[in-house]
Amino acid sequence: MPKVKVNDVELEVPAGTNMIEAAKLAGVEIPHYCYHPHLSVAGNCRMCMCETDTPRGPMLEIACNMQARDGLVIRTETDNVKAVRKSVMEFLLVNHPLDCPICDQSGECRLQDYYMDHGKYDSRGNEAKVGKHKRQDIGEHIMLDAERCVQCSRCVRFGDEITHTGDLALMNRGDHTEIGMFPGMRLEHDYQGNLADICPVGALTSKDFRFQRRVWYLRETASVCTGCATGCNIQVCHQEGEVFRYTPRRNDDVNQSWMCDPGRDRHVAIGSLSRVLRATVDGAPSADAIPELARRIRAAGAGRVGFVLGTQASLEANWAMLQLVRANCPDAKVFWVAGADADAIAKSDTFLMDADKNANTAGVKLLAEWAGNVGDAAALRAADLALLVVLEDDVVSRVGEVLAPALAYLGTQHNPTTAAAAIVVPVAHVVEMDATYLNRQGRVQRARRATNPLGEAVPAYQALDALGAALGRAPGTRMPVATFLAMARVIPRLAGLDYRGLGTNGKLIAPATPAAAEAK
Amino acid sequence: MALPKPNKKLTGSESSYLVEVIKGMVITLGHVVKNIFDQDRFRTIEYPDVRKPMTPRYRGAHRLLLRPDGGIKCVACMCCPTVCPARCITIVAGENPNDPAEKFPVSFDIDMLRCIYCGFCVEACPKDAIRMDTKIYEINAYNRQDMVHSKPYMINLMDRLKPEASEAYRADHTTAPAGHTPDEAPVAGGHLG
Repeated sequence: MPKVKVNDVELEVPAGTNMIEAAKLAGVEIPHYCYHPHLSVAGNCRMCMCETDTPRGPMLEIACNMQARDGLVIRTETDNVKAVRKSVMEFLLVNHPLDCPICDQSGECRLQDYYMDHGKYDSRGNEAKVGKHKRQDIGEHIMLDAERCVQCSRCVRFGDEITHTGDLALMNRGDHTEIGMFPGMRLEHDYQGNLADICPVGALTSKDFRFQRRVWYLRETASVCTGCATGCNIQVCHQEGEVFRYTPRRNDDVNQSWMCDPGRDRHVAIGSLSRVLRATVDGAPSADAIPELARRIRAAGAGRVGFVLGTQASLEANWAMLQLVRANCPDAKVFWVAGADADAIAKSDTFLMDADKNANTAGVKLLAEWAGNVGDAAALRAADLALLVVLEDDVVSRVGEVLAPALAYLGTQHNPTTAAAAIVVPVAHVVEMDATYLNRQGRVQRARRATNPLGEAVPAYQALDALGAALGRAPGTRMPVATFLAMARVIPRLAGLDYRGLGTNGKLIAPATPAAAEAK
Repeated sequence: MALPKPNKKLTGSESSYLVEVIKGMVITLGHVVKNIFDQDRFRTIEYPDVRKPMTPRYRGAHRLLLRPDGGIKCVACMCCPTVCPARCITIVAGENPNDPAEKFPVSFDIDMLRCIYCGFCVEACPKDAIRMDTKIYEINAYNRQDMVHSKPYMINLMDRLKPEASEAYRADHTTAPAGHTPDEAPVAGGHLG
């Protein structure tokens, strides 16, 4: 590995690392606009200029295009570098409209940040600024303001390299250069939100988040998207119990820096009218839905009670259901239903959007494989049941019929299953609890609690713990950390894992053993 | 903390009180005499018919300013609620499709019960949209709800000054604070900014 020197820090970096990344490893931040770790190097913003030694003496070069090689020395804080950064800032801001009061980017704007860090010059602008097209509605999720653009071309490269749609382009020349769409065209792909994220200034902003909240009010909680089996890493941006947006969180092994628009829109469901907020028994609000459910389970007799694991529920919740059955009614039948409806398949691709719209199908498979006697949809249809307890999955739409004389549903949203269910217990949304999910790669990832559960909701593993207590033996799944540890102790594929060990990027678990695969 | 007991012994003349009462009367009578012979500097005013002119930098009730074209100057940038140490400002932002300013406050409420009149909101405002130059110090209401000043209330605040307010008081409001250009906002009923 080549040995490079950043300021006075000597370090070894992998060959091919560019100097922005190398400096980051050395703890030095090099300002940049056009460079993005998941896009090609354009080298047109000139903000990352650093001083390096050449045969002709110290020269300025752009760090994003400088690859680490043995003996490479860069200096990022010399007077020369500082002067060049200041000049670059001045150039970039020559025609900038200073829209900050109405710009959604302010607070997370590179122009603001770098001006305060590296600019701070006295304005010499006596000429009128070049006006460009403002407030252009270029797609379902994106607004374009060409005046604010610094022509970094990140969005152009995103269209060329990630979505392969090539929809945005730099047009005109000189200081009249602006980002635009071809006439009559609109953004059509499902990854538009990323354009607002990668735009280092306020030129491309999100329409969904437009004027909703100033970003400096928002708190960010690291979580995962539960919109499909991919499990993109996200930041939940929330303020005082209200979630305003999801933004992708970098995880090179799962979603790089991207996420899809349907995933971003999912936060709308948290506080929507379709949310289940009250426990009901036979359609009427009830304070003791869980004791009533326990009574009905006992009345039905263990042999005629079915439990459906939830492919949308967390590992902890499914584990709680398995443990509850094991402790209280070992004769009850347990099922799981794989689900990918036709609509979901239409909205899928080979990049991030999986046809399986359930976040934890792999997790349920893992638990079912471990538990051994879990039936599938066909077994569920064939079973003779008096009562079916469903965890989060919309089983009625998925199987196409109401499968038992009585249904009990623990879930977050109203759907055909809640309509058919005799007992409905509200449970917490993914942003309202600590939980883990297993994505399609077999990566265990953590969602962290960002806000408090709405209404009467509690995390599903706690609701199931209460149900177990009402039945006689609680599965002991009140605390997610302990629940995960209990799982990791007995399930070989999770062995050695705990919440802390999962870190921010999750952990890949061992693939299913060949023996288990054969047994299926 | 226990307060120390006053242990000062009254002197002979104080213990009779008579001398002290006369001393006080002398001060009062002194003002009467001064008011009679030096009426240019009257020591008492007939509030509320007459009001004391406040200093130019006195921070009274907030008002919101309008642009010359009649639109509100505020663009809901949220700088004032961010800087407000009392957290008394609540703004809901909205989009105005016909206005080049794009963003405007759908509602702009200041809870005057929480406001500490520090003037940070005025300083933070990048648009000179809020000022505290009304010099209105009678901020009162019969219930808490009315102590929350709303956007329409603050836009028309200057109109709410009673017409019978003294000329001197009204004239005092026509000077803009230093550093601000007087805005020519056409507020109905005579604008005094």
